[in-house]
Amino acid sequence: MRRLRSVTFGRPRLPARLSSRRARIFVFLGLLGPGLIAANAGNDAGGVATYASAGAKYGYDLLWTIVLITVSLAIVQMLAARMGTVTGKGLAELIREEYGIRWSVLATSAVLVANLGICISDFVGIGAALGLAGVPAQVTVPIAALGIWMIIVRGSYRSAERIFVWFTIPFFAYPIAAVLAHPRWGDVGKAVVAPHLHASSSYLLILIATAGTTITPYMQLYLQSAVVERGVREEERGREEREAISGAVFANLVAAFIIIATGATLFVHGVHSISSAGDAARALKPFAGQYAEALFGIGLLGASLLAAAILPIATAYVVSESLGYEKGIGRRREEAPVFVNLITGMIAIGAFVAIIPGVPVISLLVAVQVVNGLLLPINLYFIWRLARSPQLMGEHRSRGLLDVATGVTAAVLSALSLALVVVTAAGL
Amino acid sequence: MSSVNAPVAQAPPILHLSSVVGSPLRDADGERLGTAEDVIVRLGGAGYPPITGFLVNVAGRTSYLGVDRVSDIGADGVVLRKAKLDLRRFERRPDEVLLRRDVLDRQLINVEGARLVRANEIELAHLGGSWRVVGVDTGPRGGLRRLLPKRLGSRIATGEFLDWAGVEPFVGHVPTVRLRVPHPKLAKLHPAQIADLVEAASRREGEEIIQAVGDDDRELEADVFEELDDHHQREFLEDRTDAEIAEIVSRMAPDDAADIVGELDEERREPVLALLPVSHRVKVRALLGYDPAEAGGLMSPDFLLLGPTTPAADALQAARRSTIAPELLTVVFVASPDGALQGAVPVTALLRAEPAQRLEALVKHEIPCLSPDASFEEVARLMADYNLTAIPVADEHERMVGVVTVDDVLEAMLPRGWRRRFGLLGED
Repeated sequence: MRRLRSVTFGRPRLPARLSSRRARIFVFLGLLGPGLIAANAGNDAGGVATYASAGAKYGYDLLWTIVLITVSLAIVQMLAARMGTVTGKGLAELIREEYGIRWSVLATSAVLVANLGICISDFVGIGAALGLAGVPAQVTVPIAALGIWMIIVRGSYRSAERIFVWFTIPFFAYPIAAVLAHPRWGDVGKAVVAPHLHASSSYLLILIATAGTTITPYMQLYLQSAVVERGVREEERGREEREAISGAVFANLVAAFIIIATGATLFVHGVHSISSAGDAARALKPFAGQYAEALFGIGLLGASLLAAAILPIATAYVVSESLGYEKGIGRRREEAPVFVNLITGMIAIGAFVAIIPGVPVISLLVAVQVVNGLLLPINLYFIWRLARSPQLMGEHRSRGLLDVATGVTAAVLSALSLALVVVTAAGL
Repeated sequence: MSSVNAPVAQAPPILHLSSVVGSPLRDADGERLGTAEDVIVRLGGAGYPPITGFLVNVAGRTSYLGVDRVSDIGADGVVLRKAKLDLRRFERRPDEVLLRRDVLDRQLINVEGARLVRANEIELAHLGGSWRVVGVDTGPRGGLRRLLPKRLGSRIATGEFLDWAGVEPFVGHVPTVRLRVPHPKLAKLHPAQIADLVEAASRREGEEIIQAVGDDDRELEADVFEELDDHHQREFLEDRTDAEIAEIVSRMAPDDAADIVGELDEERREPVLALLPVSHRVKVRALLGYDPAEAGGLMSPDFLLLGPTTPAADALQAARRSTIAPELLTVVFVASPDGALQGAVPVTALLRAEPAQRLEALVKHEIPCLSPDASFEEVARLMADYNLTAIPVADEHERMVGVVTVDDVLEAMLPRGWRRRFGLLGED
């Protein structure tokens, strides 16, 4: 009887084996990750309509605000990514743990209402974008809804994220559309640097709306939950933060190009009012040709699909986190019933309402703006407080200039949001 | 699940934490002196944790009130034993936590269900002469009671709640003193379940679980590490010293140990290997020479190899004496005197055979044998085709070098995201 000792031979493991292959994929996906997805979902139907209106009504005069909004968005998104990495918990979870159930339920209900509204508007956007190609929304919207549902509920988080990243490719349509519109780049450059203020209530309104649609609460909520779901390690924090910042910058570049595209055509030719994203695309046709219309439609489709997928996820995370239910993309209904049912419900309601003929989309969007405007200050306040808490964030807490900048951002955006609420509620 | 049906005849009445917190502090005559802000309990002992004191707010100042000065806690508030108020500054003593600040709204481990739950309400009762924590409500009733205004909320009856004996709170976030409360209940769980909890928890909470497990059972800690996915293995190994890693690795089966060492950064592998016991080191290093996606990387170097003339009784005796893990010893392998692998005999066949029968009469020659560089797909296919739970790996001279068992193959075949689901399916 004898036992054979193992001997050293055979093909050696590759020196850094799987980890290097994996690391490379991570680096690639890291550049295109939750930060990009979260911020760019903001260029959805509502966003495109707002930026296009801004361009049509005031030309390039609002470009300077985009610069400031970019800084604010980058700060807020970066902090959300940081908190996700350091604490390993979602924003709603942290609010619940640090501020109690009442605050978290208040924020959660606001998220639920606001996100459902945005979700509807995005399915409307999908219908409008494909409507440009002559396909009725009653056909396209249910198909899109089913597709999105399959990706989220049947796939894993990583596969879903990879597909979402592809949804941002159509955004490149906007820079092309802007170039096709032949803007005077000198004027554009000047408008970026020098603030143009108009002493009119409609200017103020569109400024507030631009800020409100670019920095929306669900972006931070989604980003932080996604970072947690990804299981980002502390050593990867820097990369995750950079990704959040670059995602914010990319999103706002897209917004700027929409303003440039419409500013160079509609504004110059005296078309000052458009009421929806589809309108904007159609309005471009006489001035920049049918390609501009098609490009606008493609961009709108990509963004609306992305947002229509992100919103149900963000909402389901927030509700599950604050009420303590099982959560996770790719979980089956038996495992995480509340999470999956919320996603299903939001997609179903969003798609259903969007195909009802004659749905008052505009008044719906107005109502959504009000809820979002109320939610944003709450959200920003918590992000500011939580990110500077030494007990929670330890050495990674925000200090000095960053802390001040976050505080100022929170205060200014909150003031703008509340102003928007007052203005919308007053029906100005 | 250990749920307690609250109003059982002999059970003492249940008091909710939410009705104590914020209730008035009264003197013996019922005069209101201040408010109760939090309840202090001592963890760590056996049984239900006793209340040791209160944080009370008197005239705008928060101070400590020992439980010995309190005669009753109830719907009317906290009632003092004497008329005189004796307040001290609150200082945390070892093992003490604040129920509202440190436990309520946070995650706990539901040991029975092996899952994480969130405390919506904490239930107290007068037991064995003192006030104690008896359970945690994770259902909607507890949450609703705290959400509604006090008058309405107090009408919500006690729901089913988890007995404290079945839960473990996380205490890692408790400030000033780094609490080191043992978590003895965790030892009841299967290592795979503990690993699931670690994967489901945030990083800090996961760290706490692993530390608690490692404090009283090094063996269990190693088992938990074996069950963790690659990502979490890396995460929790990174912060440890080489000696600590070596200690964990030396308690693992060689194939799992090789996986762990392979997860380490390259420059750390040799120092860790150097700290392992010699026999273990030889095996682990040999296994590290193979690609993890091939038979050589999946196999274990522990197996029983006997000569063809060995009688069945001797073979059984050899199996009895061997220290090889049971899952690796479902078959014994047979090699000719020159060392060439001839075949395998299931242990069941040995049990059924006559004691004097020789292995050469029992051996199954037709079982396949793998080369170390056989692809993972081939391993899986052969096992399925030949209905095998263990398959030998041999070198080019037909000498056996290891055995691949079905559990290794299954683990590698599980789709991403499936692993985590185990154990998290428990009902609410």
